[in-house]
Amino acid sequence: MNSPNNDPLSRMSLSRRRLFARAGMMGAAGMSLPAILAACGGSSGGGGGGGNSLFFENWPEYIDPSEDDLTGTVERFMAASGVEMNYAETYNDNVEYFAKIQPLLGNGKPIDPDLIAPTSWLVGRLISLGWVDKLPIDLVPNAANLRADLQKPAWDPTGEYSLPWQTGFAGIAYNIEATGRELKSTEDLFDPAFKGKIGMLTEMRDTMGLLMLADGVDISTVSTFDAAATAFDRLEAAKNDGQIRRFTGNDYLNDLSTGNFAACVGWSGDVVQLAVENPNIRFAIPEEGGTSWADAMVMPKGAVNRDAAAKWMDFCYDPVQAAQITAWVQYVSPVAGVQAELEKIDPELAVNPLLFPDDATLARTFSFANLEEGVEAEYDARFSAITGA
Amino acid sequence: MTISELTPNPVNSRDESTEPTRRSFDPERLGLGLLLLTGALLVVVGTGMVTGVLATLALALTLGTVVALIGAAILGGPEVRRKIAPYGLLKPGMLWLALFYLAPLVTLLRNSLSTLPSRFAVKADFDWNFGNYSTAFTDFGGQFQRGFGYAAVATVLTIFLGYPLAYVIAFRGGKYRGLLLGLIIIPFFTSYLIRTIAWQSLLADTGPIPSVLNDLGFQPILNALGIMDGDKILNTPAAVIGGLTYNFLPFMALPIYVSLEKINLNLVDAAKDLYSGSVRAFCKVIFPLSLPGLFAGTLLTFIPASGDFVNQQYLGNPNTSVIGQSIQNQFLVQNNLPVASAMSFVLMMIITVFVIIYSRFFGTDDLA
Amino acid sequence: MSAPSSPLGSVARWGLNLFAVGVMMYLFMPIFWIVGFSFNEPKGKFNFVWQNTTLDNWREPFKDEALTDALLTSLKIASISTLIATVLGSLIALALARYSFKGNAFLDFVLVLPLTTPEIVIGSSLATLFLDQNVTRGFSTVVIAHVMFQISFVALTVRARVRGFDWTLEQAAQDLGASPMRTFWKVTFPLILPGILAASLLSFALSLDDFIITLFNAGSVSTFPLFVNASFKNSFSPQINVLATIVLLASVALMASGTLVSRAKSRRSTR
Repeated sequence: MNSPNNDPLSRMSLSRRRLFARAGMMGAAGMSLPAILAACGGSSGGGGGGGNSLFFENWPEYIDPSEDDLTGTVERFMAASGVEMNYAETYNDNVEYFAKIQPLLGNGKPIDPDLIAPTSWLVGRLISLGWVDKLPIDLVPNAANLRADLQKPAWDPTGEYSLPWQTGFAGIAYNIEATGRELKSTEDLFDPAFKGKIGMLTEMRDTMGLLMLADGVDISTVSTFDAAATAFDRLEAAKNDGQIRRFTGNDYLNDLSTGNFAACVGWSGDVVQLAVENPNIRFAIPEEGGTSWADAMVMPKGAVNRDAAAKWMDFCYDPVQAAQITAWVQYVSPVAGVQAELEKIDPELAVNPLLFPDDATLARTFSFANLEEGVEAEYDARFSAITGA
Repeated sequence: MTISELTPNPVNSRDESTEPTRRSFDPERLGLGLLLLTGALLVVVGTGMVTGVLATLALALTLGTVVALIGAAILGGPEVRRKIAPYGLLKPGMLWLALFYLAPLVTLLRNSLSTLPSRFAVKADFDWNFGNYSTAFTDFGGQFQRGFGYAAVATVLTIFLGYPLAYVIAFRGGKYRGLLLGLIIIPFFTSYLIRTIAWQSLLADTGPIPSVLNDLGFQPILNALGIMDGDKILNTPAAVIGGLTYNFLPFMALPIYVSLEKINLNLVDAAKDLYSGSVRAFCKVIFPLSLPGLFAGTLLTFIPASGDFVNQQYLGNPNTSVIGQSIQNQFLVQNNLPVASAMSFVLMMIITVFVIIYSRFFGTDDLA
Repeated sequence: MSAPSSPLGSVARWGLNLFAVGVMMYLFMPIFWIVGFSFNEPKGKFNFVWQNTTLDNWREPFKDEALTDALLTSLKIASISTLIATVLGSLIALALARYSFKGNAFLDFVLVLPLTTPEIVIGSSLATLFLDQNVTRGFSTVVIAHVMFQISFVALTVRARVRGFDWTLEQAAQDLGASPMRTFWKVTFPLILPGILAASLLSFALSLDDFIITLFNAGSVSTFPLFVNASFKNSFSPQINVLATIVLLASVALMASGTLVSRAKSRRSTR
């Protein structure tokens, strides 16, 4: 999949370069979005009064911004629907965010955003805690465009509480110059030649997912703590003897560029951005299997702007709009029919297996099962003890 | 030694010798009593030991004491006023501390003895659960040791770097002293985080410092000393200690400078004449006189360093985790309030014990 | 100080000076990095690898809205908290330095206590209080937290400066017919003002830079250090370097002007 000629990353990187030829690749470009919104007179915090505003708090760099002659999705939405939208990119980490909202939602108080996009496992937890309202799906006709494999997932069995924003994969990101060879397997991360140059994610399900799959455990059906025992022991040993240098969030991108890491566990879409400036950075879904995850839009309990939220979700699930988003973020769209639309914008991207995984790839990616609260606590505790918290 | 013995002509003591005690109450006792009472009330309300109607009552009582104090001041006449004045001046600040420093500590203590009814519950139930403390010691013993260990090494290094610097500025700075002191402080007008991130970049594997060290051939020596690990400096204990040393250097250098600057130069010259040598003059005279500064500097460095986690976060690796990081993780990630509170409290207790022992050893010099 | 008589002493003397210079350079290394990289044009999201020199970042220092907002929030918090803390702390310092009264030692002890408590304990305990009392953490809780640790600092610093103050000056003024209020404002206050100003400036800096205590008590508010911390994981724009350099320059300017003013004042008074 990663041979030089049809390396999906280099093809992706060309189209990204086209998009950014004039704008420049800075994160600041994405962060100028609030400036545009402020100029549009977007309100800060759409929680109170007036159903015609919307506050969506999302991950950074997760939507196409308005720059040069390209209009971003938020702008297009505001123009088309007349809704005043406040789009914030301040959702940085699932656990951190949860800790922030816990005292509010736990005491029955609403939080500011009408929509947030946590990762699937957190969605599952929020649903079981009763901290999210059902989505106004009947007001979202385009919800029917949801990919079949994402309907009624394990973390939202009735499908009434969430609508995926983007999905993606966790696999091995590596610097081919540092490793000297292509990496294909999770075992490569334990190669003594890379001692002290390996990174792993603080996202438990991605790191443990890869390790458990390498152990032959089917993570999509796992339900006990013991199933992960061998994988945990292996992780602990690798940490103790210095094989693993650090556990990271998105900052692994930094370590890959500065040479601190030779290889690490990483996320598919992120690595693409890095590959633009450094073609030596590659991504591979391991042979033993990689994890697939979804970030899904949910409505925190007590959110007021339900109609506006419905309009937004309907807008984003229109394949034409979804294609625009995908062309920029380069993650796997949850909307069916995006591929056809993407061909009109960016034909190279439209056939990229990392964006539109073929059956072979899909067969190798697994979504971590929804763990029951007590079991999840055991996983979290053991993982924290190892990651040095 | 209390401040009253040091302050020349404190305002009240002059009166006591001339004023016959005619009053039936002692305004000082009243002032102190009211201050302590309101402090205690705020602590009690703050920790939620009393709620609802009782809390409102407590707050009303607090207001009442303020009124009483003012009333006593107005009605009592100038003598009473003078005696009550300090309590009046102290009140607002002390009450703020009572509510936002003491009350939280009591809450911390209470939470450390509680249990969470469920993993994501927001309030813990107080049930004298000492198990949290045993968890704190057993699960995080390593983190405690490393936290204090790195802080101790860093403190010694700051003395090693900061004392000569302070000495040179104090005794050889001449008219440039102010400027040089300013130069020490200036780097610390940038954000603490950004400075640590700067080190992360400087010490990166492809960064300037490892490259220079490797080119100069220091790598084998540094490896042997345990400072470098292969060709890396970043993500080693040395990097964490280095970060701590850097960030707390001025906290050591400045107090030492203050002590040294106070030394009367004539004393130094006399010492030199007596001991016929700069080194002995230093050991016998200058060094002992700088001890108060050293004492203050050590406390100002060691205490924050032992609870720090920023250096570990940016410069360390999973095997160098320290107690500050664990507390932060238990609070903000694991949502395990009881254990986190127990760990916090243990950290504070250890430091308090250290400070008490250290003060006894050094003499109770004031920190300012 | 008399010069050493032996060549060895000379060497040792210069050795020490060189060492001190070395330590100074060590202190400035990260500053060179911070200022230097503000002129970098990074290729990707992180400003950690040198690419080209450019002035673009300086032309648009406020390009990153969220970052600028965070800095403004930090400045606002620092201003408000310093104001409150200076008032409260100075009152305490006056009480402790000027009067002798019962309970002096105990209150002194309580005052020093926050300085001997690690930031993480202060931050986490305050957060626990707010959680228990169901107070939503945000701007006001940060201000409250900052005032709390600033009070002790201001009080002790001002007290130290005020220690050598000759209180008989007050008595002299009153003998001359001034009322206590007038005495305070015309005699005492101007003399202790430099100490108060110095303490408030330093506590402003402390508030601006505070990370650990703020982390626990900010809720969803973003201050400059919090923003930098979160930003590090996702992207690190050169604007962060630019703003940090601006804050640095502003502080230096402030300090320099402060020194010049006090020097001018002392020259005037000795003429």
